[in-house]
Amino acid sequence: MRYGLKEWAEGYVTITVRGKRFERFLNMVVREGLRVWNIRRVGAETCRCDILIADYFRLRPFLRETGCRSHVEQREGLPFWMVRLRRRSGLGIGAVLFFVGLYMLSSFVWTVEVTGTKQMSPQKVLQAAEQIGIKEGAWKVKLKEPLLLRKELMTLLPEASWIGVTIQGTKVTLNVVEKDDPVKPIVLGPRHLVAKKRAVIHTILPEAGRSQVKVNQFVEKGQVLVSGIIGSEERQRAVAARGTVKGEVWYTSDASVPLKQTQYRLTGEKLGQQYLIVGPYAVQVWPWNKQSFALYESKEARFMPSYAGYTSPVGWKQVEQSEVVESQVELSTEEAVAYAKRFAREDILRKAGKDAVIREEKVLHATTENGKVYVSIHFSVIEDIAVEQPIVGIPQSPEPDSTP
Amino acid sequence: MRRWSRRLRHLAGGVLDLPQDVVLEVPRITMIGHLQMYIENHRGVLHFSEKELRLLLTNGQLIVSGEQLVIRAILPEEVLLEGRIGGVKFV
Repeated sequence: MRYGLKEWAEGYVTITVRGKRFERFLNMVVREGLRVWNIRRVGAETCRCDILIADYFRLRPFLRETGCRSHVEQREGLPFWMVRLRRRSGLGIGAVLFFVGLYMLSSFVWTVEVTGTKQMSPQKVLQAAEQIGIKEGAWKVKLKEPLLLRKELMTLLPEASWIGVTIQGTKVTLNVVEKDDPVKPIVLGPRHLVAKKRAVIHTILPEAGRSQVKVNQFVEKGQVLVSGIIGSEERQRAVAARGTVKGEVWYTSDASVPLKQTQYRLTGEKLGQQYLIVGPYAVQVWPWNKQSFALYESKEARFMPSYAGYTSPVGWKQVEQSEVVESQVELSTEEAVAYAKRFAREDILRKAGKDAVIREEKVLHATTENGKVYVSIHFSVIEDIAVEQPIVGIPQSPEPDSTP
Repeated sequence: MRRWSRRLRHLAGGVLDLPQDVVLEVPRITMIGHLQMYIENHRGVLHFSEKELRLLLTNGQLIVSGEQLVIRAILPEEVLLEGRIGGVKFV
């Protein structure tokens, strides 16, 4: 029955009608087909109602006939808006100019970004891009299709195997994928593999060269394991010996463990503190009173807003303190020995290298003295004992096929 | 003649199962709680104030009493009334 939007678009006025025969006036107006709404009585002889602008000008004869008088209270709707807008035309022009400006400014390229360059300098890519029109301040409409641009860029930059051109808003991203040179094999000079420790050979797997030792043979430090000199007496040639040689090495490790130990343990109680940082000073903001635990671990997080290399002097710091409780623990001798073994094992493995395996361990003796347990442990470890040693002094023999 | 016409109408209403307000010239009133009232088939406004709306019908009058009454819309044969409606009375 009512069309709020249509009324607003056509414009309407709120009028008060003063007169004794308002009902008669209303009936006449309605029968004539004028649209009147929101009728309410505001006084003994006055009523207020809304009416369309077009209908308002047709009211006069009815007002005269019933002896009523009308007075416009409020004007609303699009036509009145337009009038107001015309009065303040600067606002409208400004709004239009704003959108035009936004559209125009967004139709230019503002930034060109190069990603993915490794050997090539981004400057070079940018120069090539400038040749085909991709530069800061270029009009986007004049740029060709990204696919065409890509082709042209790739002809200009033969070093790249692929270049992606993406235009996103006012930003052009050139994604460069460079050609990878095939990995050159490392040329190895002639060398031996020698023992780096006194050991008993456990396994020997020569890949290049001639093995000089056998399994279960005892070798001294510096003894040649895999020789880099191959061939017979007359026809010799030096090569880079390769292979894995594992040997059994013996270690003795001494460790001492105190029987009384202090342990620290988190209780789970936490306290948060907020600080405001101004320059070099930190002011505690929350909580108001200074409180902390007797023993605690603290974690700190700082928030300093920074932009383009400039850090603001004002920031925020959060400190979280976690309560720690100290407790004394008395170890038994067995526990202390187990402790010592663990430490010794870690120590040995660190010495022996990462792929070493402990084959055997034996506690030689354990004594308790002055509240400490002294343990001496023997380890037998299987580890890589081969180390390269370049062959010098021996002149390199000519290639076998070149000799007669 | 009028009596004939009325009898014919009654008959049509009974036989054809037509709604009464279509056949007889009586108002059709739709109310939504005490908040809104929609009256069709009136013959004009006799009196309107915040407390009372008096409408002319073909036979008699309709008196709607209430508080803060507002005529939201009005057409030659329809009225949409809003406010706190207290009572409806046929006179």
